[in-house]
Amino acid sequence: MVSEPALQDCPSQTCGAPAVRAASLGVVLDERPVLRELNLEIAPGELVALLGANGAGKSTLLRALSMLIAHEGRLELFGQEVTKDQPDLRRRIGLIAHQSMLYRDLSPRENLVFFGRLYGVDNPAGRADRLLGEIGLADRGDDPVRTLSRGMTQRVSIARALMHEPDLLLADEPFEGLDAPSTHSLQEWLARLAGAGRTVLFSTHDVGQGLALGRRMLVLRRGSLVVDQPTSALDGERILQELTTP
Amino acid sequence: MMRAIRTILLLAGKDLRIEARSRQTLALVIVLGLLIVVVLGLGLAAGQKTSPTAATAILWVAYLFGGVLCFEKTMGVERQDAALGALLLAPVDRGLIYVAKLVTNLVLMLGLAAVVTPAAVVLFDFDLSANPAGFFTVTLMGMVGFAAIGTLFSAVVSSTRLQGGLLAMVVFPLCLPLVVSSTQIMIRLFGEARPLTAHDVGLLGAFDAVYLVSSWLTFEKILEP
Repeated sequence: MVSEPALQDCPSQTCGAPAVRAASLGVVLDERPVLRELNLEIAPGELVALLGANGAGKSTLLRALSMLIAHEGRLELFGQEVTKDQPDLRRRIGLIAHQSMLYRDLSPRENLVFFGRLYGVDNPAGRADRLLGEIGLADRGDDPVRTLSRGMTQRVSIARALMHEPDLLLADEPFEGLDAPSTHSLQEWLARLAGAGRTVLFSTHDVGQGLALGRRMLVLRRGSLVVDQPTSALDGERILQELTTP
Repeated sequence: MMRAIRTILLLAGKDLRIEARSRQTLALVIVLGLLIVVVLGLGLAAGQKTSPTAATAILWVAYLFGGVLCFEKTMGVERQDAALGALLLAPVDRGLIYVAKLVTNLVLMLGLAAVVTPAAVVLFDFDLSANPAGFFTVTLMGMVGFAAIGTLFSAVVSSTRLQGGLLAMVVFPLCLPLVVSSTQIMIRLFGEARPLTAHDVGLLGAFDAVYLVSSWLTFEKILEP
């Protein structure tokens, strides 16, 4: 499994700051409020599960935290307020989205090396080879992505998000399309990342998985945060109740 | 500066590698360009020699329609599987993404011209040897301005549901002054056998500068994942 290098350097005034701090965070898409007045703080090294019914705003929250879409209110990542173009902050974020975010005519190796170079990763070819080995695709590393199965593509997508060793990993339903061994590997991987001090926020529809893997759980309902508690203080029934409340 | 150039080469190299792998864009664009040249050539001057005026106009029509197809295809690659999102997540200046796309589009358009122009020369008995440097200069400068606008609007159009044809409707009117100027200069070069003047180059250069700067400044504001 992945051996985790040290976290990226941070300016002295932001060291020790929460990985994520949101105050009255809102997102409006097509003139419709999708997230409303979210207040949230996630410490470095936390492994947080995000649940919510379809359309609750999980993907939108992850996209806002990854600086891909505009937000209202105040959002800080690693102590720096998110404004507009902050390459140093972007360098510390990794996103696994619904779509693979890969170039389907390139091979997994070419995709990983390309993104590694964009992020200024040292020895991107070596890092790509190592990650391909970790995800069990070393023998398919030179085939075009379009020839891979859904699960394999998902694994490459995960490797892409980890290529530059982000301090904050945002994962939108990362287990979707994975078979049981790959799901188990990814669970171990996420736990190890958090153990190494990296912050992981993943969304899932599986309440059991969220409770088992996450140390803390957030539940969104119609764009508002209705649960924010350690998983040890929650049970499946309570979560289901929150999810099904109209 | 070197870092910016390296990033542009990395991004454009990725696009060209995808094109070399899929061979979707250039083959399609060349076929379209040849069809335009043949169909318009036969329609305008069946059984008689095509005038240099008509030949240059037909060539520009082929470049323009082929160019629009290039713009759509190269931006379409970024929309497939939301790859553009990964690009926007990366610590890369969006202006560099624009320049890289522009370089890719120009390379593909020059590839189109490299095939379609000799075909027109043969088909229309078009004597390019009268001023090959002038032809190359005007074509290249015209393409730079056209690609500058086309690259910008391909990003706009690809993020809307109104694709297929909309790009041409937006880009052609905006590029009309440049295209008319380029065609007029070509007609003077080959119809009236005049040399290319500094005024001609200055005029096309001014168009290019306006299109490039305005597109580069606008691109980062309209680019959405």
